[in-house]
Amino acid sequence: MKIRIVVMAMMLALAAALSGCATSGDIEKMQAQQKLIDAKADQALQDAQAARAAADAAKTRAEDAEKKAAERERIADEKAARADAAFQKSMRK
Amino acid sequence: MRRIVRQPLLSRGLCLIALGISLLALNGCAVAKRAWVSPNLPEREIARNRFPVETGDDVIGRLAAVRLERGDTLPDIARHFGLGINALSAANPGVDVWAPAAGERITLPLSFILPDAPRKGIVVNLATMRLFQYKGDGMSPVVSTYPVGIGTRERPTPTGQMLVARKAARPTWHVPASIAEDHRKKGDPLPREVPPGPLNPLGDYALYLSKAGYLIHGTNKPASIGLKASNGCLRLYPENVKLLFDDTPVNTPVAIVNQPYLLGQRDGVLYLEAHSPLENPGAGALELEKVYAKLRSLEKKTGRTLDWKKVKDVQAEARGIPVPILEMGQGAGKEAANPVEVEHPERLYGRPDLPELKLEAWYVLAGDLRDEIEARRMAAIINHQGPPIPARVLSKSNGYRVIAGPFGDAGEARDAVRRLKIDLEIDGIVIDPVRKIES
Repeated sequence: MKIRIVVMAMMLALAAALSGCATSGDIEKMQAQQKLIDAKADQALQDAQAARAAADAAKTRAEDAEKKAAERERIADEKAARADAAFQKSMRK
Repeated sequence: MRRIVRQPLLSRGLCLIALGISLLALNGCAVAKRAWVSPNLPEREIARNRFPVETGDDVIGRLAAVRLERGDTLPDIARHFGLGINALSAANPGVDVWAPAAGERITLPLSFILPDAPRKGIVVNLATMRLFQYKGDGMSPVVSTYPVGIGTRERPTPTGQMLVARKAARPTWHVPASIAEDHRKKGDPLPREVPPGPLNPLGDYALYLSKAGYLIHGTNKPASIGLKASNGCLRLYPENVKLLFDDTPVNTPVAIVNQPYLLGQRDGVLYLEAHSPLENPGAGALELEKVYAKLRSLEKKTGRTLDWKKVKDVQAEARGIPVPILEMGQGAGKEAANPVEVEHPERLYGRPDLPELKLEAWYVLAGDLRDEIEARRMAAIINHQGPPIPARVLSKSNGYRVIAGPFGDAGEARDAVRRLKIDLEIDGIVIDPVRKIES
């Protein structure tokens, strides 16, 4: 009776040990998955960086355009003021 | 069978009266309908120079507005409506003087607060660049008002009390030594005297003031009205100086004041009109303090609180328009503050004529520009010289050319080149005729 109990306990322990172990196939599969996810993360990071760079570039372009427009406006105003000053001078006797 | 019924004579008469009344009523309806459908129909004309002065009122005239058309310039609009360019520009900040956008609605500041001075003879307010001439008896006084051009910062118009000492039609200009020297330095020597004619800066009429050397006169440069461009004299548009000359006897008192901030009331409403002070902005501080003192005293007297932020805004904006700042009584009207729409006239009075192009004529190339606005501005400025030099913009594939002319001969064209250089620092190039003149 005692022996039967011991054999059953051993069988149970063996079964438990066998079910907890992974095969090398499982490990390879997991590593491949990790690689894929890692690659995906790299891609996402690159995409985010590219988007940020594009946004920064667009912002810079917009700022440049704004600066250029302001500069054009300033030059136009200056030209108008110069023309008006010349006109006012020409109106003297 | 029909029965012929003879209407009695009385009944027929009644019918005619009824018909007449119906027609009158319908006519009334039509007028009313027009008023309902288009309540803001632009007016054809607006008073610009002559106004009755109601007893107790200090504000005359009415603000107006007009929509610009292509080719308009502010100096042309100003002259047509009896305004100076200073007033029109101040009332419409940001509007291009020489090349404004077509369709733009601009304010015509044709409402004025009378200067704080005795209402007799002529009163000139230098800060507003406006002359007021009081006429009429005490019961129905009338004021005529005209824009003026005044002295430069270097040679300002003096303030004070004086008289019209004498008058002259078609005056000769005796060139003062200071002006002769200025012109000599510019390489444009003047004769000792300039006879009446288009080159005479006094125009056709002059009123000599009792302060020696100072005149109220016309001009051969109408676009200078509303500018600080004279040597201390007061210039008027040619059409205005004629009216003033005819209407002003010798010995008329002339008061010249400098009031950039004006207070006045009409129909129980207190108005404030602010202009940029003639000198640097700080120099108007004393005048401003006087106005503030008056306002504080008025607050005490009436027991009403002023909107001081509004007062300060009006002063800072300095648009030269009377702005209501306080209702002093029940049922006070603020109608004068709302501009009335005016139709754009078919032709602007005094606008420089542009003769047709001719192949047999001489021209001057005044500018070769890429920007259309710049070209239009240059042409307009040349057009408004005194005497005028006709100029227009010709567009080409890659830009715009400003061409002055046509001129009848090479001498005229060379004279235009000389004037463009001396007055506007423009280097013009004479263009010979495309087609030879047949002898």
